[in-house]
Amino acid sequence: MMEMGDWWRRGKWRIMVMLTMLHIVGILIFTRGFLLTRTELPYYSNCSDVSESPCFTGQSNPYQNQSNSRCWTRPAVDRLVIIVLDALRFDFVAPSTFFKEPKPWMDKLQVLQKLASTKRSARIFKAIADPPTTSLQRLKGLTTGGLPTFIDVGNSFGAPAILEDNLIHQLASNGKRVVMMGDDTWVQLFPHHFKKSYPYPSFNVKDLHTVDNGCIEHLLPSLYEEDWDVLIAHFLGVDHAGHILGVDSVPMIEKLEQYNEILDKVIEVLDNQSGPGGLHENTFLLVMGDHGQTINGDHGGGSAEEVETSVFAMSFKKPPPTMPSEFDTSSCEMDLDQKKTCISSFQQLDFAATVSALLGVPFPFGSIGRVSPELYTLGAGTWNLENNIEGNCPNQKEEEWMQNYCNVLCINSWQVKRYIDIYSASSVIGFSSEDLLHISDMYAQAEENWSCSSESLLLFKDESCYSSLPLKRKIDAYFKFLLNVAELARSKWTEFDLKMMGIGFVIILISLPIYFLAMMTKSVNGFSSLLFGDSEIFVKLVFALFMVVIRACSFLSNSYILEEGKVASFLLATTAMFKLRNSIKREKMLVEAIVFLLLITILRFTIEVGLSKQAATSLFMSTHSSWLVEIDPGHPVWIYMAEIIPILALIFLAYLLYIIMARSSCHSIWKYVVLGTILCYILIAVHWASESDVLSSMLMLQGIGRNFIPRIIYAVGLGQLLLLAFSPLFHKDRDLESKMHLLIKTLAMLSSCSSTIIVLSGKQGPLVALVTITGGYCIMRLGNIDRGSTDKVAGILTFDPLSVTQWSLLATCLFFVTGHWCAFDGLRYGAAFIGYDEFVLVRQAILLMIDTFGFSHIIPVFGLPFLVARQKLLGHTDQDGRLLLLQLSQMYLMYGLITAASVIATILCVIIQRRHLMVWGLFAPKFVFDVVGLILTDILICLAWFYYVGRREDGTQLTTLDHRD
Amino acid sequence: MVKASTTENPSQSVSPMQTFFIHLICGVGLAVGLWVAHNFYSISLISNPSRTLRLIWVTMCPLVILFYSCFRKNPEKCSYLKAVIRGVLALPIGALVNALGAIALGAPVGIQYFVPAASVFGSSWEDWRRIFAHTKPNASVDYMICLPAHGAVIGAWFGAWPMPLDWERPWQEWPICVSYGAMAGYLITMVLSFVLVLPRGRQQHPKAD
Repeated sequence: MMEMGDWWRRGKWRIMVMLTMLHIVGILIFTRGFLLTRTELPYYSNCSDVSESPCFTGQSNPYQNQSNSRCWTRPAVDRLVIIVLDALRFDFVAPSTFFKEPKPWMDKLQVLQKLASTKRSARIFKAIADPPTTSLQRLKGLTTGGLPTFIDVGNSFGAPAILEDNLIHQLASNGKRVVMMGDDTWVQLFPHHFKKSYPYPSFNVKDLHTVDNGCIEHLLPSLYEEDWDVLIAHFLGVDHAGHILGVDSVPMIEKLEQYNEILDKVIEVLDNQSGPGGLHENTFLLVMGDHGQTINGDHGGGSAEEVETSVFAMSFKKPPPTMPSEFDTSSCEMDLDQKKTCISSFQQLDFAATVSALLGVPFPFGSIGRVSPELYTLGAGTWNLENNIEGNCPNQKEEEWMQNYCNVLCINSWQVKRYIDIYSASSVIGFSSEDLLHISDMYAQAEENWSCSSESLLLFKDESCYSSLPLKRKIDAYFKFLLNVAELARSKWTEFDLKMMGIGFVIILISLPIYFLAMMTKSVNGFSSLLFGDSEIFVKLVFALFMVVIRACSFLSNSYILEEGKVASFLLATTAMFKLRNSIKREKMLVEAIVFLLLITILRFTIEVGLSKQAATSLFMSTHSSWLVEIDPGHPVWIYMAEIIPILALIFLAYLLYIIMARSSCHSIWKYVVLGTILCYILIAVHWASESDVLSSMLMLQGIGRNFIPRIIYAVGLGQLLLLAFSPLFHKDRDLESKMHLLIKTLAMLSSCSSTIIVLSGKQGPLVALVTITGGYCIMRLGNIDRGSTDKVAGILTFDPLSVTQWSLLATCLFFVTGHWCAFDGLRYGAAFIGYDEFVLVRQAILLMIDTFGFSHIIPVFGLPFLVARQKLLGHTDQDGRLLLLQLSQMYLMYGLITAASVIATILCVIIQRRHLMVWGLFAPKFVFDVVGLILTDILICLAWFYYVGRREDGTQLTTLDHRD
Repeated sequence: MVKASTTENPSQSVSPMQTFFIHLICGVGLAVGLWVAHNFYSISLISNPSRTLRLIWVTMCPLVILFYSCFRKNPEKCSYLKAVIRGVLALPIGALVNALGAIALGAPVGIQYFVPAASVFGSSWEDWRRIFAHTKPNASVDYMICLPAHGAVIGAWFGAWPMPLDWERPWQEWPICVSYGAMAGYLITMVLSFVLVLPRGRQQHPKAD
């Protein structure tokens, strides 16, 4: 026990490093379980690849005579019409007799039901989507045949375009002409693939008709055209109606009735032209949803209502196809007209493979789907099999079908196996070798049995009509393999690993008591004095903890995460009110309290501006018209102001630094550092002046290189930091622990960081810096209110916990004030290219990181000593140094504690809300930002501790302090 | 600890019955305001917040000023009329403070809750400080003023929390839920202050919490 305590006391830095490691390990484990990652492979399937497959080796190919014209599979349909109805619930399509009780929104798409019950060539499928059930992820899943996750590691960083191999890419590169109309998400995903596209903005959820009317306008005329092979029409009305009014609403039913009418017309047109030689002689129609929705119209999660959608498939080829009953898994019910309707089941995962097989294009490289037997039959069951029938076996047709299907499955399995092998070889986190072995076994099993080709089957053909038995076994083996792969992939890419998440969470949670212990190690009896001794500081501690806890609780709701900046400023204002009350009580520092309140007011409005910017890009926020919009930014006065004010602020900052420098008598090394910063400020001012149109024409500054100045500033900043880091080597200071010295050190550190951060933040930089300085000054002054009066170190906390809380809240506010928010579109990508034109990943990532976390993490952590350094001397000068050290360590621990507590709250909320609708939209980005912020804060705290204190602190000093009281 | 001005004698003692009646009248006044708004003008806080608040304000202010002025400090120096005028003057000042708080927090606080203090204490800074900064009420009338005022503020603070939620309910608009919170806090603490005043009818020096 004693040793333990000794160890605590010996080095606070050890605790800090340990906490950092603890956080990193915990977060890594948690992330492993929560953030499902998948690597996007940059490979594409080609027609010629198929020769590598075992499916045609040396065998007589039943279609050899045609092998020139075909690619992987034999094209079964010529043209394909895909009508996507966004958020199409399964019960919108299926007859109400399939459900316990009829609901008002059922049986509205009667044209589909009628066809499904009367025609053999039409069928309704229940399609099961994989979560996340958001449109973008689903479209990606449908076209790539994979399981998109939250983080698809790949080349498409920041841009939504799909770079992975996908169905649309295969269609385009194999000469299929694709026409698209409706939801503009498609154009974002596939910017160059469509021959023609009629995109309509999908952004406005309240608009039920724009996209649909646009679709209708182009859909019917297009059906008479000959210039396309695949037509995609994406209707959004049902999705939007669900989002704003829910499923059980009049607009929803009107929308469904409207769709019924349109589908009726579409089918009529297609049917009329489906005669021999007609335009749609061999056209296939798919009416499908990308995902379902709950009764409230939400989707994104994995509940049955959300993942169950529907596919209606219909072939216009005559005569209609037949299929072996073995593979028909449909369930049948009587519909309202007492006709038998059969509904099969279908995995959306299989969509890309099935459509590829139908159209005869290579399967997308990353597809892990299986060619669905039922859907495939609808299109592919009707080759000119009649010609091949020689014998008089009744099952001849079925056998032919099976043979063909077996061939397709052979290619399918080979392609999936190839993907799994290459994926495991090339991705960071692949499959476990155990799973791989299992899958390889299964594949080998499926391969060894028989060849699908007719040669081996010929043996049986003459003997018996039931020769399909081995063929069937082989198909079953392929099924088994493909289903196993899908299951493995699902467990890897769509299911959270709760055990990992739990372990990670517990590890991070352990850090909390360590923080408390480390803060309390001054003395054992200190604890009681904390609880019962000084009621003043106790009230403050409770208040501070209350703020932290209430902020933590606010992360439970997505609404509060969206408005986190406002919540933080609200809490900051509350603490400021508390301080104001205190200052009235003491009749001191009233000015500071009021200035601080005003400052928070300014912050609040700035955050409001940031939020309105966010609302413009975010899907989740309603755009609210604010008075801020009414300020006309084009007015020349504003332009001048916007140009000049930052430069003035910068000059003021430089002046401030100069004054402080001139007043303090400090060592030369610090002086040089600060001088360098002043120089940088001037350079930044010149840089901005040269960039702006207004000033450069005045001052003739265009000549100076655009990238030159920022690079100088980065270099100077780096040089300053290095100088500071190695400053202990240059001179040994005697009065290391004096407050003045600490102050100068802090100043030098902040100034050397600030120039880079300011140049990256752009024009707002100096203003935000001023706000930070003012806020920090007020907090520091207000924190000292009670010092004078109590005049003793009461209890265990040698500092004002509320000040540190305020400092931390201010840091959070600054994150939002500088125009960031917790989403990936909240990153200011422009900042990464200040000073550089070309993209180098590491360099640009570092710049972006500095910009994102500069004002909210780097400056606050390094600036924390200000809160200590300006406090009044406490009367016992001999022990000042040690007390200072103690204060500093406790403050850093408190700061770390607050950060860690809010991150833990975020993690807990993420665990609770892991099936929430917006888990990928809001909670996960928030988690990523928080976690990065926490690790950064930890590391910065360690660095700051080394910089400010080094290893000089030793146990004896603190022990004497213990024995003093 | 800075010594508060606790030595002043409460000039006018207030019996629990009086407290009860004053609180009752204030509470009833609030209810009447809402009722009148609902039945005569057929508006509610949700449909027409500003008009309803104005109506409540109109009913409450005279009540509050007239009744609390009865308990003014130093009645020999300060006439009833003077106390009333002071109360009326406090309104714009209260509004200003209120607006400042509103801007900083985004949560306004109904001003009628501060008016009683003005009526009773006038411009005695010491008393103001004692009530609102130290929260050290020592006379019955202090309880009557201090608790509901704090209650209203805290109620409004909590009332602000549902605002960002995306339930899309009409009452989530800005002044509505905050006003409800303030009223709830006001009413609850009125009851509380009555409970706290009760023992003071018998005891002379109870311990302030």
